[in-house]
Amino acid sequence: MASKRSVLTPTLIAIVGFLTVCPVVMLIFGSFSTGLGAFGQFTLNKYIQAYTDPELTDIIVNTIVFVLGSSLVATGLALLLAYLNTRTDIPFKFLFRIISIIPMMIPHILFSVSWVLLLNPSNGLINLFLRQIPGFEDAAINIYSLSGMILVEGLLDLPIAYLILAPALASFDIALEESSKVCGSTTLRTLFRVTLPVLRPAILAAFILSLVRSLASFAVPSVIGMPGRIHVLATHIYQSVATGFAADFGRAAAIGMSVLAASITLIYIYRYLTSEGEKYVTISSRGYRPTVIELKGAKYPLFGIVGILSMVLIVLPVLVLFYTSLVPYSMIPSARAFSMMSWKHWIEVINDPISLLSLKNSVFLGVVGATLGVTLSIFVAYVIVKVRSHASGILETLSFLSFSFPGIVIGVGFMWFFVRTPLYATIWSLLIGYIATYLPYGVRPLASAFVQVHSHLEESSKVCGAGSFTTMRRIVIPLLIPGIVSGWILMATMFVRELTLSVVLSRPGTEVLAVQIFRFSEDGLWGQLSALGIMMIFISTTLVMMATFVGLKFKPVEEGR
Amino acid sequence: MEIRIINVSKHYYSGGKTIKALDNVNLTIPANQIFTLLGPSGCGKTTLLRCIVGLESPDVGEIQIGGEIVWSSEKNIYVPTENRGLGMVFQTYAIWPHMDVFNNVAYPLQTRKMPKDQIRSQVDKTLRFVQLAGFENRPATKLSGGQQQRVALARALVAEPKVILFDEPLSNLDAKLREETREELRTFLTELQITAVYVTHDRIEALALSDIVAVMNAGRIIEAGTPREIYFNANHRFVADFIGRTNLIDATVTSQDQSITTVDSAIGSVVCRKQHDMTPGDKVTLCLRPEFIRLKRGDATQTQNVFNGQIQSLVFIGEAFEGEITIDDTQLFIKIEPDSAIEVGDNVNFTVDPDNCLLVTR
Repeated sequence: MASKRSVLTPTLIAIVGFLTVCPVVMLIFGSFSTGLGAFGQFTLNKYIQAYTDPELTDIIVNTIVFVLGSSLVATGLALLLAYLNTRTDIPFKFLFRIISIIPMMIPHILFSVSWVLLLNPSNGLINLFLRQIPGFEDAAINIYSLSGMILVEGLLDLPIAYLILAPALASFDIALEESSKVCGSTTLRTLFRVTLPVLRPAILAAFILSLVRSLASFAVPSVIGMPGRIHVLATHIYQSVATGFAADFGRAAAIGMSVLAASITLIYIYRYLTSEGEKYVTISSRGYRPTVIELKGAKYPLFGIVGILSMVLIVLPVLVLFYTSLVPYSMIPSARAFSMMSWKHWIEVINDPISLLSLKNSVFLGVVGATLGVTLSIFVAYVIVKVRSHASGILETLSFLSFSFPGIVIGVGFMWFFVRTPLYATIWSLLIGYIATYLPYGVRPLASAFVQVHSHLEESSKVCGAGSFTTMRRIVIPLLIPGIVSGWILMATMFVRELTLSVVLSRPGTEVLAVQIFRFSEDGLWGQLSALGIMMIFISTTLVMMATFVGLKFKPVEEGR
Repeated sequence: MEIRIINVSKHYYSGGKTIKALDNVNLTIPANQIFTLLGPSGCGKTTLLRCIVGLESPDVGEIQIGGEIVWSSEKNIYVPTENRGLGMVFQTYAIWPHMDVFNNVAYPLQTRKMPKDQIRSQVDKTLRFVQLAGFENRPATKLSGGQQQRVALARALVAEPKVILFDEPLSNLDAKLREETREELRTFLTELQITAVYVTHDRIEALALSDIVAVMNAGRIIEAGTPREIYFNANHRFVADFIGRTNLIDATVTSQDQSITTVDSAIGSVVCRKQHDMTPGDKVTLCLRPEFIRLKRGDATQTQNVFNGQIQSLVFIGEAFEGEITIDDTQLFIKIEPDSAIEVGDNVNFTVDPDNCLLVTR
């Protein structure tokens, strides 16, 4: 056993180290080189070119406003929702779970597109509708603006902020509040003097994670920002590498270095805060439910907000896309619109060889990529949780590193690597890139699954006469199934909708769904885009359902506490 | 089956410091007895148990189970846990949450590749023995704490091992259930005629359950004996103190004859039953358990070991009065009959039977 372990850990460090360190190293080398084909001589030219660009100041200001604004929106809304859900008697609490899970299944690019379809100034559905109202003939709410970008990105980052805040609020020890009230504070004063300060690490963690996500975001800046000529760093990098003949990977790498540095710094602060947070959060063991605050009169108005949010987050995007896929051009729903509906766009998509190829590629990447990714994650999580040596600490840091990787930057780094290998322009380059960038999404559910497998459960099997292999087969693996399934689902859905990395790495022949949708949006082919988008959502949902089904099959008895 | 631990030591390295988990332990656990390792947390008792079962290995020494060497540093022998054929009940019970009661209990037989019908009858028999008949198809995690504990016991017993090990199996139960389960366990084990090694830090559990108690501290076995020997006749101050509440008073031997030892102490001269040979001038510790300090009846003519003390505090706990008295400025705990007519501030005469005065080395 001891010898097996001593081989396992270095092997994993080598694999994960390659996946995470390689793109960064290539990015650094690339930023000091002249062209993509050969590194050539060491040069600072790319940095000088990139950072003396007069447009850069505007881009940086835009980026800061966009990133801060959307994170504030996301964290504020998430805090409100989490508080309402865990601490008040608001009705229909199941909605909160839906709000927190479903948007993960709606790809960001489709969500952004649906808002363009609703609010673009020329023929957005809401704008068309408003213009019919007397006095609003010139009305045009323009989504192609910084505030539009902030709103949409904020809604997209809401689930991740909620997923951090809800457990923190749920495990909040009510006695802290009660003692404050006993000391004579009002509810509001208690909220600001006790509740929020105690939750501060969780709130900051949610905010910082939103910062990282919006900094790396490409869907919103490309679909909403670029048509409005509002550029942020992500789209700036994209334009350096994507504008036809003059692709400049060196300049992209030089800009990417700053984005990567900012992102890694933020994630470092995030990790510090979450480890600090454990000191604050008090978790009681006996299924303790905090008492709920009665909302009384405010109950239904507040529920109205939640209802509208869930409409806006889930129902509206899908509805708009489905509607757009059926009508010939943008028009508000009316009898005429319904009479003109047809499957024309769907048929066009099915007959489009590139769309079909992208469907095939994305399903392949989702299924094969998630399977390989989860397999790697099982071993990594095992070493991190169970071996706990100095080397496993290195592995943990390495496997967490890619959490801070902005897809587009890491895509540029990988480009410098793949162009030198036979993998260039193959589906395998995308596969490797995906696993490298999304490894934490597989490792985290599996690490918590391993934590739940108490060492006594394994030891007891040995005392009962079972060898290592039997113990693995009959005890460890069955207990890991829930973790494996959720890791697989997370990775598969991420891979099916992957945009930011693919937009750099995808070449003719290796088109994927999100990139094809992005192309449609650049060309304004909203009908085809919507049809392909609905197919994409359908594929994601099918994968999730399949994985859940397989997981249930392998789990004979429902999981205990 | 007899278990022999010979010169076993084990060290841990933690934060640059060496911790002696086991410090040259020599121990013989006789066959078919309930043997308890008792000690404060961190004394090495669990480490010793895990070395016996094979989940940990000592640094040096030898361990024999039923005459077979299962571990030896010198002869380079290590029999892996799964081949030692023991039964064990873990502190957390280690009930597998994904299996029902039947499969949890049948597991040791399944790993031994026993025929199915034989497994069924053996599991039935064992579940009936631990009074869980009819629970076969329940998910194991849906049972109460006491029932889970019995599932763990059934799993440890089902393959009819010659030795069963317990690692603080009652510590996760609430007080009342713990007492009931303790009685049950005692009945089961006496009926079975099996060697049981039981680890606990609870002295009442150890006294109530064991044939032999070994008290451990800092990686060493301090003293072993029957519960009564350990309670009444401990040789070490640590053991006397750990096994029950006691007043420890420094004393000096003044004389000794065939049956009694007389000492001089802060509460005056005390006559004690003779346990060991001592010479006048020896520094010893006098142990007086609170329940043996009694009120002197008015009609008693006894003159030996009579002390006048003042009652400082008194708490009525139902079955007794607990309190503190001072005898010549020395504070002593007492525990006296609940119907005694005494109050705080009273000056009262107390007596202690010489048989209940224990002298231990300092």
